[in-house]
Amino acid sequence: MPTVARYPRLFSPLRLGPVTVENRVVFSAHLTNYAEDGHATDQHAAYYEARAAGGAGLIITEEHSVHPTDWPYEKLIHGFSPSVIPGYRQITDAVHAHGTPIFAQINHNGGQASSMYSRLPVWAPSSVPDPLFREVPKELEVREIAEIVAGYALVAGHCRQGGFDGIELQCSHSSIVRGFLSLATNHRTDDYGGTLARRARLLLEIVAAVRETIGRDLALGVRLCGDELIEHGTTIDDAVEVARMVEATGQVDYVNTSIGVATATLYMIEASMHVPPGYAMFIPSAIRKAISLPVVGVGRFKDPLQAERALDAGHCDLVGVVRGQIADADFVAKARSGHVDDTRLCLSCNQECVGRMGLNRWLGCIENPRTGREAERGRWASAVALVDRPQRVVVVGAGPAGMQAAIAAANRGHRVTVIERDPVPGGQVRLAATVANRAELGDVIRNQVTECRRAGVTMRYGEEASVDSLRALRPDVVVVATGSVPERPWWVPQVDPSLAEAPGALVVDVTDVLAGRAAPTGRVAVFDELGFHQATSVAELLADRGCAVEVITPGMVVGQDLGITLDLEQWWMRASAKGIAQTTDTLVMGAGPCADGRPGLALQLVHHPTGGSELREVDWLVLCVPAAPADGLWRACRDAGIRVERVGDCVAPRRIHAAVVEGQRVGERL
Amino acid sequence: MKLLEPLRLGNRTAPNRIVFGAHETNLGRRRALSERHVAYYERRALGGAGVIVVEDASVHPSDWPYERAPLASACAPGWRTIVDACAAAARGEGVRPLVLAGLNHAGSQGSSAFSQLPMWAPSRVPDVATREVPQAMEPDEIAAVIAGFAEAARGALAAGCDGVDVNVGQFSLIRQFLSGLTNQRSDEWTGSDGGHDDGLRLRFAQRVLAAVRDAIGPDAVLAIRLSCDELAPWAGIVADVGALVAAALAETVDAITVVRGSIFSTGATRPDGHTEPGFNLGLVAQIREAVTAVRPGVAVVAQGSIVEWGQAEWALGGFDDPARADAVEMTRAQIADPDLGAKVAAGHADRVRPCLLCNQKCQVRDGRNPIVSCVGEPRSGHELDDPDPCAGVDIGVDIGEGTGRTAGAPRDVLVVGAGVAGLECARVAAARGHRVRLVERSSGLGGSVRTAAAGSGRSRLALIADWLEAECRRLGVTIETSSEIEPGLVERIAGDHAVVLCTGARPGLRPYAGTSPPSTGGAPARGSGGASSSGSSGVVVWSASDLLATERRSPTGTVRGLDAALPEGPVVVWDPVGGPVAVSIAELLASRGRQVTLVCPDFTVGTQLSLTGDLAPANTRLLQAGVALVKRSVLRSLGTTGVVVEERYTGLTTVIACAALVDCGTLLPDDALWRATGERHPRAGDAVAPRTIHEAILEGRRAALALDGPGA
Repeated sequence: MPTVARYPRLFSPLRLGPVTVENRVVFSAHLTNYAEDGHATDQHAAYYEARAAGGAGLIITEEHSVHPTDWPYEKLIHGFSPSVIPGYRQITDAVHAHGTPIFAQINHNGGQASSMYSRLPVWAPSSVPDPLFREVPKELEVREIAEIVAGYALVAGHCRQGGFDGIELQCSHSSIVRGFLSLATNHRTDDYGGTLARRARLLLEIVAAVRETIGRDLALGVRLCGDELIEHGTTIDDAVEVARMVEATGQVDYVNTSIGVATATLYMIEASMHVPPGYAMFIPSAIRKAISLPVVGVGRFKDPLQAERALDAGHCDLVGVVRGQIADADFVAKARSGHVDDTRLCLSCNQECVGRMGLNRWLGCIENPRTGREAERGRWASAVALVDRPQRVVVVGAGPAGMQAAIAAANRGHRVTVIERDPVPGGQVRLAATVANRAELGDVIRNQVTECRRAGVTMRYGEEASVDSLRALRPDVVVVATGSVPERPWWVPQVDPSLAEAPGALVVDVTDVLAGRAAPTGRVAVFDELGFHQATSVAELLADRGCAVEVITPGMVVGQDLGITLDLEQWWMRASAKGIAQTTDTLVMGAGPCADGRPGLALQLVHHPTGGSELREVDWLVLCVPAAPADGLWRACRDAGIRVERVGDCVAPRRIHAAVVEGQRVGERL
Repeated sequence: MKLLEPLRLGNRTAPNRIVFGAHETNLGRRRALSERHVAYYERRALGGAGVIVVEDASVHPSDWPYERAPLASACAPGWRTIVDACAAAARGEGVRPLVLAGLNHAGSQGSSAFSQLPMWAPSRVPDVATREVPQAMEPDEIAAVIAGFAEAARGALAAGCDGVDVNVGQFSLIRQFLSGLTNQRSDEWTGSDGGHDDGLRLRFAQRVLAAVRDAIGPDAVLAIRLSCDELAPWAGIVADVGALVAAALAETVDAITVVRGSIFSTGATRPDGHTEPGFNLGLVAQIREAVTAVRPGVAVVAQGSIVEWGQAEWALGGFDDPARADAVEMTRAQIADPDLGAKVAAGHADRVRPCLLCNQKCQVRDGRNPIVSCVGEPRSGHELDDPDPCAGVDIGVDIGEGTGRTAGAPRDVLVVGAGVAGLECARVAAARGHRVRLVERSSGLGGSVRTAAAGSGRSRLALIADWLEAECRRLGVTIETSSEIEPGLVERIAGDHAVVLCTGARPGLRPYAGTSPPSTGGAPARGSGGASSSGSSGVVVWSASDLLATERRSPTGTVRGLDAALPEGPVVVWDPVGGPVAVSIAELLASRGRQVTLVCPDFTVGTQLSLTGDLAPANTRLLQAGVALVKRSVLRSLGTTGVVVEERYTGLTTVIACAALVDCGTLLPDDALWRATGERHPRAGDAVAPRTIHEAILEGRRAALALDGPGA
């Protein structure tokens, strides 16, 4: 078996109390926003089932709330209501059908919440407002602490009735137990505050109450935070000590780990591609040295080899792979069967998984159009059902939209050819991935090319398509995915070819810089109307090359949408270190020659809140502005009577996910 | 009274001129109207609304602007139930409000997050908020949307609606076609039909309205909500153009609600209290003049923060002034008090619960899907969840809360603290027949709300305190001010009195060096109501509430004022919260000529203001006032001549020179009396956890209802 040879530890079974897992890959708890009216849905069942079918060793569901005072986000499962049990049963039946164990995570988010949904005071150890929600909580009365403990026991009972194989107590990230453990949030002077032992009292009471409810047939785990990364927060020494206390109860079967506080340092919990894989390994490593219970490690595990190595090095006994299995539900099965190269690698882009959670939207995946839609079973059945009469499909453009359309069409049995003008696939993604720290974005191209190959798509590079060349291929249908072209705002001066140094020639598009067609030097202004990675990427690239860079945006923040992908904080750190200036609330309204014959470009800036204007002399201006759809071929085909569809940026220039879902939608329905 | 005169719309008659306009509620179930919608509108029908416009429904699947946005094809059952419920709720024949279905397509101002489809728009102009490039509509897509409007209108009529209200306002595809900001096409869809100037870009609007009129027939009401000033004169619709557009579209419609705003001014249609009530009335008058000149029968409806019946009456030509409008949209006023119409009709206009124009709970265009509600009337939007505190009161006979209805056995109730929590508790308890004694330590009623109202642009907050105080007095609550309640007294009377503690807040922790070390529990002494400084720092520290309190009139009629309170020199405002308080203080200080620096931990100032629509306006006002904004920074310590702040993501520290620091951090509950009396008496509001008016009123009311036992 190639599996045993390559990943001997990953595929060795392990006992977690009464439960045996067949491999060490855990689909650990994470929010999905699939709940409706406080209940699990068909989508939950279908989502977890897909990962069970894909070989996950253990699935741990998203959290279930133990008390009505806990309702920090709209789509939380209200575990305290007995009406959740049928939904639990639906999930566990679906997962058990594949022989996979599944645990339920139960939790009270404590002060990391607001009263927006509950209309009740938020409960916390002390009256310390959460850094995100900023609502002063009610300092728990002792009888209310007992109510919370009883809530954990109640919900554990619901989970047992619902068919779960184990319970995980969320005591990290966002949790009232975390709140009690941490000096940052626990200022109590009674028996629940002060020393670590007293701060851990709530945890130990909950462990005892839950174990009493579930008996010995179910596993019980505790998820601890190893470093909150906040002032006065829990650090690794405290975490190790708490892990020892947990083990000493004799009631707990495993310890899961995490890093960060969800409402303060989320960017380190669900770290994007800018943070090295394995960054949180020190936590399970330290805990595992102190206790003998199995320990789960997490933190951007992208491929099975990395997981195998962490196990081999003794850092942990199991690895949490969440985003990896969001991107590819068959992550484990592909590793087991020796098809690891077919894995759709997670990009750690955070755009449609993590990024949608904070926006109260259902969890998806930038490159996996099925994620979040698993319950549309009919759709996926038909999307892979072979058509009776295969057609000749020609896709023009090998960016994410075109390749996804090709994959979807080929999976239905159509004969698909992709024609790409460039010598290589990927379109603009290829450019975006050239920038330092953004290389992993390029995995989407690798993943799609792999999938195209597997699906039997013919790829033809270096070929410009036209109506005539397409006709010559006698396609039944053409899918145009020709992307976009840069557009220059009205105020950019015309380029006079006779004057190399004319102002217009000093204004370039971000894609020109990334593709190497332009190499700005000296003082560079980056004007950003997109608010995403384009401007920050090119700014870093140019700063690394020694340019003096200033990013100018009409928005209130440079890189506004980096907040959604948890990249904003670290962009600031890097930008500050690189000396990149950031100018907000400002429009560029003109660009002309500098006065007195000085070289470069004089930009006319307007600070729109105050109307104040100033001139800024720079050597280059890089534009990050909306592009124009390259829809000429689509129009030409339509006018020529060719059956034609269009997908991606040539419809409207947007982000990768829009291209992928559009490619899938069109490709599967040809 | 003009406001109460019937209004003819097409061939139908509204019983009065008070309109409950279309607005987002998040009450829906998936994309259908829900039973919560029904209860919400029914309550306004019961309370005397003249016209009710149901939340806009998307007319085509290409439009899914927010998660709970109704979809017209899923709305028929909801429309029918709402129409029936409103008819049944209205008291008596001929007073049934007209029910119109709001219809819209948000175009490029929508979202692709839920549909996972490209957004449709006249041209590929990205919306300012999302920056997402929309798809320029092809001719077949334009035809599909026009057909969608007609189909939706037909469905609304079939469900019993009196007509439809088509959105051509601030968030609408039709307006996007009318405007040079968003319609940059080069085809026929920049033109106009019927001999109108092509520069007006009327064609899409005309075709939609013609199709809708065709679908609903001549007798049903066709209303539009029209942005007549996009506040973007460089390319948008300006008032003079808006008048031409309104006059042209008046050919087809029965009513035009005049609004303003567009892609660059999303908060301008329904701004908070920083904008004057009735701000739109000049524009309304101009539009009405233009419309009346071509088609006098068309009703022009005024919109724009009109929340007082007097202003509404004046806009309609009351008080011997010329009429500016034929009806008045008073949406927020009826969220604050669903009985607005009934109270005015019964001669009790003074008893209308005021709208504070705070937008804190009623503005719900937010990804978190908050339910529409009101800080002063928490039952709004929760008609099915919350008991009516005055259930059983026949407001047709005696309007409003408080008819001396006895709920079970009347009890003696002591309410300690007359902030809004205590006032609401006393009001509801008294209305339900209890004998209530309300005791306040300070010399006046209203507590911290009156203090907050001293902040710039927040004066209307005080109205809720005024109203609660007046209601308490009307209901016979025994009120004692300047009276401290000792724990011993509570213990003595607790045997035969119910006691509710609404004792408010005390100063919060100051976790920076140079002040007293952070408390780790216990009950520190109550703030003295003044400044403090300690150690070697020369910087005087004020809490936000103490500083604002200096702006309030004392019982002797004097105002100390913050100028007198603060030492001369620059002031730093420290805002770890991001709410309205620090912004209002910084503005107030700047308006007094102070050099002000606002320090906050976030990437923008006032992060929590996104919900009220004041985030961008607040930042603009601060910048225009010359307030220096220091973001992403935390306050570390007080120095001798200034404060030390640290940039959060770089660790770099700087000293900001200042004479005074205003700390806008959160407060702690003042629970000393609760602790001293056995931790057993119910609390409400800030005494539980210092929060906002909404929580204080909600909990004060719940405490009053709980006097009758559980389930009351």
